[in-house]
Amino acid sequence: MIFRKDDIIVNTISRILIPFIQLYALYVIMHGHYSPGGGFQGGVILGASMVLLLLTRGYDEARYKFPEQIATLLSSVGVLIYAGIGLLCLFVLGNFLDYGKLAALLHVAPAHARSLGILGVEIGVGFAVMSVMYSIFLDISTGGILPEDEEE
Amino acid sequence: MTTTVMYALAILFILGGVFFFATATIGLLRFPDFFSRLHATGKGDTLAVFLSLIGLALYEGISLTGLKIVFIAVFMFLAQPTATHAISRAGIKSGLQFWRKKGDAQ
Amino acid sequence: MNGFLLTVGLILCFLVFLVLYRVVFGPGVFNRIAAISAVGTKTLIILLIMGYLYNRVEMFVDISMVYALLNFIGCIAAAKYLEMGKE
Repeated sequence: MIFRKDDIIVNTISRILIPFIQLYALYVIMHGHYSPGGGFQGGVILGASMVLLLLTRGYDEARYKFPEQIATLLSSVGVLIYAGIGLLCLFVLGNFLDYGKLAALLHVAPAHARSLGILGVEIGVGFAVMSVMYSIFLDISTGGILPEDEEE
Repeated sequence: MTTTVMYALAILFILGGVFFFATATIGLLRFPDFFSRLHATGKGDTLAVFLSLIGLALYEGISLTGLKIVFIAVFMFLAQPTATHAISRAGIKSGLQFWRKKGDAQ
Repeated sequence: MNGFLLTVGLILCFLVFLVLYRVVFGPGVFNRIAAISAVGTKTLIILLIMGYLYNRVEMFVDISMVYALLNFIGCIAAAKYLEMGKE
């Protein structure tokens, strides 16, 4: 299903719309503390834009832009950011994920440090959700069998 | 423009949107074939959503929220006909039969 | 103005129930997909009207934009899958 690329109207419209969808997803991640949104919702919209790229461009071009190995790597990087910020708070003699103690490192007030800590954690969650959605869709639609395996 | 004129225009646009929604729904229920139902829901729904969103943006006034509603309207105007085209192409490639009037030659 | 928006919202809810007939009884899967797309379009307007009734429009605008995006992507994914026919 995703190895064919034969429609010109859907290709052109998706080429116009995909950057704006990704920009809107970044807006949803950044404004999580004020309006409905946050890490998970923004990650889902980013993953949906990657799925749209895969559906309309075909498997080869999408694999050139966003390979499977990079997707697996990015999901681990997202978890690393989340746990890394939590451990950083442990090193500055606070509890796990106690962002107020980071104020000494960043030279800001404790309330501002809490806001920045939550923003960093949401970015990590966004990375992880996007890569996992793209990777699961790729695995389900190819059935684990790649075209290079069948040619032998 | 004064507020009263903008409110009156907003009511007019929203009523037009509701009229086109009702017509599109009646078409979806009563047409005899899948492709004619796609005509009704693809075109009628797109115009109805565009008019309703313009009406709601006029009611809100010039602010950040009004601009966001106009963005939704432009996006729906681009995306809904594309989805209709994709579904109708899938219907033709899958081999659905067209509807013929009873008593036609072929 | 609130009473007018409430009436419009109730009319749209009634239209959604009418379209659900085509979702349940549509012969074949293509009719059901077209009807689900129509339900999604009407839900978008109902969400915005609810935002005006609760006097918190800024939240409901973001939600309705996300719903428009996901409706579009879901419709294209379903159409791409059904192109294959009986294979």
